[in-house]
Amino acid sequence: MDKIDISTILASAIHESKNHLGTILYQLESLKRLNLDQEGQKSLRKVEEGMKQLNDEWVEYLYLYRLASDGYEVLYDCHALEEFLDDQVFALTPSATAKNLLLEFNADQSLTAVFDERLMTSVVSTGVYNALRFAKTTIQISAYLENDYLVIAIEDDGKGFAQTAEEEDELLFQTNTGLGLYFADLSAQAHSVEDRKGFISKASSEALGGAKLAIYLPQ
Amino acid sequence: MSKPNFSDKTALLIEDMAEARIMQKKMLNDFGFKSIEIAMKAESAIELLRSRSYDVILSDYNLGNGKDGQQLLEEVRHSHLIPNTSTYLMVTAETSTEMVMGAIEYAPDGYITKPFSQAMLERRLLKLLENKELLLKVNKALDKSDYETAINEAKIVSEKHPALISRCNRIVGDSLISLERYKEALTVFRTCRKESRMPWAAFGEAKCHYFIGNIDKAESKFRQLTLDNKFFVSAYDWLAKTLVKKGEHEEAQAILVDAVGRSPKNLMRQIELGKLSLEVRDNLMAEMSFRRAVFLAKHSCFNDAEVYIQHMASIVALAREGDIPSRQIDNFQTTLNKVHQNFFKSPEVRTEAYLLEMELYSALGDNKTMNQIEEVWNHEIEAGQASAPSATAQKRVDHLKSLKS
Repeated sequence: MDKIDISTILASAIHESKNHLGTILYQLESLKRLNLDQEGQKSLRKVEEGMKQLNDEWVEYLYLYRLASDGYEVLYDCHALEEFLDDQVFALTPSATAKNLLLEFNADQSLTAVFDERLMTSVVSTGVYNALRFAKTTIQISAYLENDYLVIAIEDDGKGFAQTAEEEDELLFQTNTGLGLYFADLSAQAHSVEDRKGFISKASSEALGGAKLAIYLPQ
Repeated sequence: MSKPNFSDKTALLIEDMAEARIMQKKMLNDFGFKSIEIAMKAESAIELLRSRSYDVILSDYNLGNGKDGQQLLEEVRHSHLIPNTSTYLMVTAETSTEMVMGAIEYAPDGYITKPFSQAMLERRLLKLLENKELLLKVNKALDKSDYETAINEAKIVSEKHPALISRCNRIVGDSLISLERYKEALTVFRTCRKESRMPWAAFGEAKCHYFIGNIDKAESKFRQLTLDNKFFVSAYDWLAKTLVKKGEHEEAQAILVDAVGRSPKNLMRQIELGKLSLEVRDNLMAEMSFRRAVFLAKHSCFNDAEVYIQHMASIVALAREGDIPSRQIDNFQTTLNKVHQNFFKSPEVRTEAYLLEMELYSALGDNKTMNQIEEVWNHEIEAGQASAPSATAQKRVDHLKSLKS
């Protein structure tokens, strides 16, 4: 047998596991229909949230694989940002609520822009899942135009990106691998208009005082 | 605006996996649909859609061995089996989303990625139905092919609802093409492309150039689309059409071979490739394409005798080139049998089938069999079951006879 690229093998393995997870999530829907007591409902919600997050992570890894191996075709479409962010907040609110955090969005009603919706859906969820680990009370997603770039920003009121070296060491031993940021960066770069490419910036949030991850997409 | 209500709406659910089907049925039940019908594959969905229409069609992209959800959509939209007022929501996995999104010609109204919760599905459906409601007058006009009204209504909607501007512009552009007002359509598409880089706008622009006769421009635009995204397979079809118009048949055929490789289950594309291959005398490729087309036609809206006849004609062409393997004769017989079963009520089809059979045996040098076939044929002409040969058919018969002597 020919030797296959290990990253391709891993990607297919993730893909199969993700499909399996999808089937279990369907079965969970029927559990939700049972008359569970409060305690039962609470555990069920936790399990569902955990599985949904796992699913979203695997989706992220699959896109990451394809972006990194040049196998991703960007599909531009025009989207109303208010609607797009409303969708993201709707999908991610249960995760925020489970951690007693407030998740809100902010975009001008008339703002429309061109980008790849499914890629940005995955980037926003990655950013929000990350913020969930650091935020104290609030996470905010916003969208606005800046010099011909659409900016989608995820901000929180945690301690922010500016960490001391010691803290970074500590982070190394946590689960953070920086994969999420790498993914966001590749996704932004995949968007281009003529010779302008997308990019990301890490900053501190003026509005909330914590971290701000901003994704710049050329328009 | 009142929220759409599901209780006066009908739904068709198309899903091959039992687990997902049961769950989605339950969800639709909870939303309170008036009726929910179920198809387990594309072919049975077509049967249902022939007899009635549904307000909402929820179809999985992946439908097992037969047609996929996108092919089903293309077929039923192309043959007007579902009205524009119906909402088509495609259920996709990440891996299939791009196949659906790449369909620049026939896109579903929306898509939802698996796995989804009941709340997510409800939200998607409500939003789509709300948009359908806003576009109701536009879609009704489109269903009546009243493009003037569609254009006017679309302009009214886009003024009131900025979120639908892009959708309305597309309808205006496509309607102008239907009205053969290509120059106006070109302006609409060009403006859209410049503002939004949307593939459908570039696609519309290229089509306008094709119709106006700016063949070189059309060619470069279609070519660019095929480079932009390998999933824009209909751009390949149009590129091939453009090359045919330029008289570059061989290159056109090569483009279609490429497109068929990307999406082998598209019937119309197989037929086009077959015809083009006959034209450039690549009879082997023609035979293969028409054989696939015969296979695909069986459960489609385009199950037409013509496809079968073309397949037999391609084998006759092969036999005339020289010796052919016996499996090609079997292929001929298999398709001929299907014509017998399905299309022999038509006297014209009968006549064409007998004539092709005679031509095949003549090419094989088997005059005895050819004569027997002619006898059966003449007998049926007398009985009124087969039609008398047309002038061109008679010429083909005369030609066969001249070879014999």
